[in-house]
Amino acid sequence: MIGKDKIIEILKKAVSRSKADQTEILVMGGKSYLTGFANNYIHRNVGNEDYTINIRLAFGKRIGSATVHGFSEEIIEKALKDAELIAENQKENPDFVSFAKPSKEVRQFDEKALYSENTANCDAECRAKIAKEVVDASKKLGLNSSGTVETETGEIAIVNSLGVEKYCVRTVASIKNIAMATDSSGYSKSTAVDITKINVEEIIKESTDLALSGRAPISIEPGKYEVILTPYAVAEFISHILYLSLNARAVNEGSSFLIGNFGKRILGDNITMYDDGLSEETIPLPFDFEGVDKKRVVFFENGVAKDVVYDTLTAYKEGRESTGHSLPQPSPYSPYPMNFVIEGGNSSPEEMISNVKRGLFVQRFWYTNPMDPKNAVITGMTRDGLFLIENGKITKPVMNMRFTESVISALNNVIELSKTKKIIYDMASVTVPYLRVKDFTFTGKTEF
Amino acid sequence: MRDIIESALLSAKRAGATYADVRILEREVEEISTKNGSVDALKRSFTKGLGVRVIANGAWGFASSFRLTTDEAEKVAEEAVLIAKASSLTKIEDVSLAEVEIFQDTVHQKVEIDPFSVPISEKISVLLESDKIMNIPGVIVRKGNMYFSKEWKTFASTEGAYIEQERIVSGAGISAIATNGKELQIRSYPSSFGGDYQRKGFELVKSADFLKNAERVAKEAVALLSAKPCPSGIMDIVLGGSQLALQVHESAGHPTELDRVLGEEASFAGMSFLMPDKLGKFRYGSDIVNITADATISEALGGFAYDDEGVKAKRIYLVKNGIFVGYLNSRETAKKLKLEPMGAMRAQSWNFMPIIRMTSINLEPGDKTLDELIAGVDRGIYMDTNKSWSIDQNRLNFQFGTEIGWEIKNGKIQDMVKNPTYTGITYEFWRSCDGIANKDFWHVWGVPNCGKGEPQQVMQVSHGVSPARFRNVKVGVLR
Repeated sequence: MIGKDKIIEILKKAVSRSKADQTEILVMGGKSYLTGFANNYIHRNVGNEDYTINIRLAFGKRIGSATVHGFSEEIIEKALKDAELIAENQKENPDFVSFAKPSKEVRQFDEKALYSENTANCDAECRAKIAKEVVDASKKLGLNSSGTVETETGEIAIVNSLGVEKYCVRTVASIKNIAMATDSSGYSKSTAVDITKINVEEIIKESTDLALSGRAPISIEPGKYEVILTPYAVAEFISHILYLSLNARAVNEGSSFLIGNFGKRILGDNITMYDDGLSEETIPLPFDFEGVDKKRVVFFENGVAKDVVYDTLTAYKEGRESTGHSLPQPSPYSPYPMNFVIEGGNSSPEEMISNVKRGLFVQRFWYTNPMDPKNAVITGMTRDGLFLIENGKITKPVMNMRFTESVISALNNVIELSKTKKIIYDMASVTVPYLRVKDFTFTGKTEF
Repeated sequence: MRDIIESALLSAKRAGATYADVRILEREVEEISTKNGSVDALKRSFTKGLGVRVIANGAWGFASSFRLTTDEAEKVAEEAVLIAKASSLTKIEDVSLAEVEIFQDTVHQKVEIDPFSVPISEKISVLLESDKIMNIPGVIVRKGNMYFSKEWKTFASTEGAYIEQERIVSGAGISAIATNGKELQIRSYPSSFGGDYQRKGFELVKSADFLKNAERVAKEAVALLSAKPCPSGIMDIVLGGSQLALQVHESAGHPTELDRVLGEEASFAGMSFLMPDKLGKFRYGSDIVNITADATISEALGGFAYDDEGVKAKRIYLVKNGIFVGYLNSRETAKKLKLEPMGAMRAQSWNFMPIIRMTSINLEPGDKTLDELIAGVDRGIYMDTNKSWSIDQNRLNFQFGTEIGWEIKNGKIQDMVKNPTYTGITYEFWRSCDGIANKDFWHVWGVPNCGKGEPQQVMQVSHGVSPARFRNVKVGVLR
């Protein structure tokens, strides 16, 4: 790690050297490790140390950007020169108002929640031992394991010429296993700031139970089914509305289904969803990549459309404040909810299953993609655990099926939500409960 | 450079590696994107660093760093060996590599116009001129983008390989999004998701002739809003080149990756239906279906001189006369199946360990013209330009949506249709192929964003295809 004092000092010096009207420097980087296993042994084991420096310069409304890898005063100097050259050749962007101004209100947040020594100190042997625990358990059950143990210790710092000065150091750890038999598989994954808070035994149990009970699946016909979606399935299904619908860019570009619907109830009244970077229900991140403190943004409250997330470009254009949801700029996906939450209900997953007369239990969706962005129609496959539910009980494993369903329709058809929520993390954090959804449409099937 | 490489290789051997290789990569990228009459983003990036891959205690280890010094190279190599030794905790058998010819070589890439010599203002003006032409009623978002990169990569191994390669890539595309408030329709040129990419200089942009195509793109986006919906049912389809490129990518490229087949990607990308017992026997497609992996195609985005294991670029058949006959492999996976390494190992950058990637995966041309393909359809749809894609983890059940389609009736193109989709099972689909357009219609499409691996790596690959006809396909699955 380079450390707060050194990074901030070098960034402030660089900002002061810049000839631009406004200057912004973002540094992201640190060490990341991944121990991958397949066929019950470690087949890939990699480490990386890298820093990315993003510089944005504004000369009036002409913006130039440069990115370099590494960290030194010399490399920042090169990036500054590149960004100046770019800005000189740039046309004015009429939408540009300003880089981020220092936040007026800063919510209280204990930065200790971002970092764990246990994760930072988990070395190659520590990761290999976790992998060994998982594959040994699979071997004992006659299963084949494939998965990862990942750790990341990263620093993020932003300094700009308007007085923004932010720094944090964070850790993230994830452990994943797919247990496989010849004709079945089971999935489990957990992510936490502190690797010792991840329950490896639970991961082994969830994945191997599914693989063992999924053997000899039957084939059923596509059609409408009541479904129990686990948090893995919910996160994969709804993830597309994060960039297609729930941000100001999507509203401006016409792809969001919230256009013309703010203040109206367009989802079921049991659906409340928000983004909160400070919530420990997610993998927290207290400020965005422009250095704006994260605000809590409610997208839907009891089904009523409320708001979307903003970065400075989209916010200042509308004369409002950024909500703190910028990605590293320039980005075609910014602004973006990085700490998304769907509020849970009162049921347990077991109760939810017991309430299904005939339906499907879906552990996970895979390779989902929007078919109709405006109406948030998504297609994808089930994977790693699909079961028939009959009279309140899981009765038979089922071969994988293709679904084609609108997120809007599905979130109007939610009958029950679990109290339990799970953090699903893949660059961004999505925290969601189990959902019981009626009339979920499956449009095809496959051979396994 | 040589002293850094020697430090890394010596240090790896001293620490106990039985094999080591080093890659040092330096890459400069320029990206421009325009939106609705102004420059949305203009960015230059630069990256440089080294990655060291080792076998120690019979297991793999990899470490990397952005600090290019002899001291750091030693440290990185030592860390890679430590990581490999930790990997051996679960070892079942020692990693073993197939023998290959060892090369020392330096390969430059020739381009007509160095993209970094062209003023940024000239590049911007091409995109903004196209933007202006696309600004017609109904179009709410006009986008344009260009990408240029130049890299220099050095690969060296403890077996004596020392290879330096240059790679220059250009890419560009435009798109228009139209809406009537209820739905969105998009048209792109020359292809969706960023356009076309090749190992060429700025001549790629000049030959694409954006100004000539911008008006058509915008008008088609608007026309799609009032076009009739794509019909549903079992019917024949003819796929245009840019859509067929993605069909080849998903249903022929990925399932022939031998690491997937052997389960090494099971925890993320999945596996494959093309298991080794099918090699040389399985009817993948009809007799006219010939699919090659060819990294030697000049200017193809998936091409190169040597892969990231130092294996020289090759052309091999994956499917010959409809029969599945070959895999994309690495030295390690080739040895497991007693195959010859064909050079498909590539890493996204210096800080990633190479994995098996598509090179240029091509549907070899047939003997028809596009008119002949269409003339042979009584009732069907001509579809082109990918809009959405999805396929199961064994690469069997797929579903694609395209930007645009036209009904074909009695051998003639009729009305435009919106939201065309088709779905099927990979081998049933390719077995139904009964016509492929000839080499005059053949184009190698660059796909710059193929994701695979953990940590995920994005790779530049390509697909040479000409339009083709498929019988009795399930069309129109969108409700």
